[in-house]
Amino acid sequence: MISSAALLNKKISLFPPLQRGDERISRSRFFFGAASMLVVALLFLPVVAGGEEVGRDGPKANKGRNRIVVYPIENLTGAAAPIKEIRKMCIEKLKAHGVDVLEEELLEQLMAKYRVRYTGGINREIAKALKQDVDVEGILINSLEFYSDANPPKISLISRLVSTGEDPSILWMDGVGLAGDDSPGILDLGLIEDPNLLMDKALKTIMNSLMRYLSGGPEGRAGQSAKKKFNPKIFYRSPVLEFNRKYTVAIAPFFSISDRKYVGEIMGLHFARELKRTGNFNVIEPGIVRQVFLELRIVMEQGVSLANAELIFGMLNADLVVSGEVIDYEDYQGIWGKPKVSFSAQLIERRTREVMWSSHSYNEGDDGVFFFDRGRVNTASAMTSQMIQAIGRMMFEDSKRGQGVAGSRTRVK
Amino acid sequence: MKAVTKSDRLKILLLIIILLFLPACAGRRTTYIDPNMDFGAVKSVAVMPFVGLTRDPVVAERVRDVFINKLLATGAVYVLPVGEVARGTARAEISNPSALSPEETIKLGGIIKVQAVIIGTVREYGEVRSGTVSSNVISLSLQMIETQTGKIVWTTASTRGGISIWDRLLGSGGKPMNKITERAVNDLISSLIK
Repeated sequence: MISSAALLNKKISLFPPLQRGDERISRSRFFFGAASMLVVALLFLPVVAGGEEVGRDGPKANKGRNRIVVYPIENLTGAAAPIKEIRKMCIEKLKAHGVDVLEEELLEQLMAKYRVRYTGGINREIAKALKQDVDVEGILINSLEFYSDANPPKISLISRLVSTGEDPSILWMDGVGLAGDDSPGILDLGLIEDPNLLMDKALKTIMNSLMRYLSGGPEGRAGQSAKKKFNPKIFYRSPVLEFNRKYTVAIAPFFSISDRKYVGEIMGLHFARELKRTGNFNVIEPGIVRQVFLELRIVMEQGVSLANAELIFGMLNADLVVSGEVIDYEDYQGIWGKPKVSFSAQLIERRTREVMWSSHSYNEGDDGVFFFDRGRVNTASAMTSQMIQAIGRMMFEDSKRGQGVAGSRTRVK
Repeated sequence: MKAVTKSDRLKILLLIIILLFLPACAGRRTTYIDPNMDFGAVKSVAVMPFVGLTRDPVVAERVRDVFINKLLATGAVYVLPVGEVARGTARAEISNPSALSPEETIKLGGIIKVQAVIIGTVREYGEVRSGTVSSNVISLSLQMIETQTGKIVWTTASTRGGISIWDRLLGSGGKPMNKITERAVNDLISSLIK
């Protein structure tokens, strides 16, 4: 039997101590090893590219300020989707983060009592009732924009936390648009084929963003800026736009000529999220705007008229009304295809009753992609998000660089 | 009588060839501008829904949207929001807003307070084929009507895209629809605004 000491000696004998003459060999062996490690690391790097850093536990919410209610998920996909399962996963994740979620029975009783049918937003009455009856601080509203379980799966989800009480407002808003083949990496090792895994990743991203907000950290992915290719192709900016002012904005549902259902609502949610993130806008909760539209019986034929805008300004004390038209909003299922988004947006200002901003944007998922699908966007949601980010950025850019602003050299013949 | 020399024959042949090709040099006048109209007085306009002569019913709306944004982006005139135009049309009880009579134009101008209205027609939009080659094409025309008199003060037309020699040689499939729409709209606007 060989003793451990003998084994140690044997090991030592396998790697005998180097003599002075072997120093060069040792150095070259070290460099060779390091270079091999580097090559391997570089080969596997694309696998992790593009992935959101999602901690296993994530940030924990501060205690004592976060009893929330999770509303049933609004299905904007236009097709059947596992919304109950998504909601269940969402509640589990919230509880795992230490958030106190209102019990299911209580929520059902409350929804029955106040006859709540619309779950895509919250109006003043319900917000007040939630505060008074069950003492919750916020309402988590999730809107499922797109869901496809065809390989590779795709999911787009927009979430927001709205305060309860007399004057409900959007506290936090974020969204995610993911596809299983967003970052396939080398040998497709990063490919996600299971829709549940993708769902889990999407919810982790959303929940981490929410927890960052609840724990008092920086909100969402505010540092991320849209690429230049997503800039609006045509835009007009009025000289009345004040660069250092925070505007209160009401977002009207967009008029849609696209084939897809609920596109007007989806675009409104994207605008709410991105305008809020710019920091220049105080976005009114879409549920309250919807309530005003219903109360005033506003039927938009092609867009918001000035008379309607006047009523909205008065009822909501808004400075701006955002409206527009969605021309294309296309996602795709499976491997082949590309998302396509085309829309125009207008901001009508209260004081002048004029259009303060107007733009026309269009993009496709493979715009500016030349090699190995680098820079490709796989969901309409992710692309729209960047297109609106670009609008928000250009709105408050240096006025001299704008097109069609006061002092431009255009003149009538 | 002097015999026709070889050089004379050559001159006649050259003249015939020149005469044959002369029409090609003629300018394509697709724009009419009323010489008596003071376009400087036009501060705001309403763009009415365009007529689409294509199979796709939403084409007219697509082109109208691009045109409104382009016109507004020039900064030369203010374009009324489409919702306001729709409200004005309903209030003026106009049954076909794409084809206005002078009386309807005057009435509409009074309601929505604009100096002119623009109506347009999308004559062609989409893919064209010739043999194995395909490309995108757009053809549209516009009219501006003064709301004080109901008179047409500007008409223009533009066609962009189509199958070029390069498309035939390389089979590229032409330029994207969005790009050629923008170019056609630019042509129209540049005929009025410098």
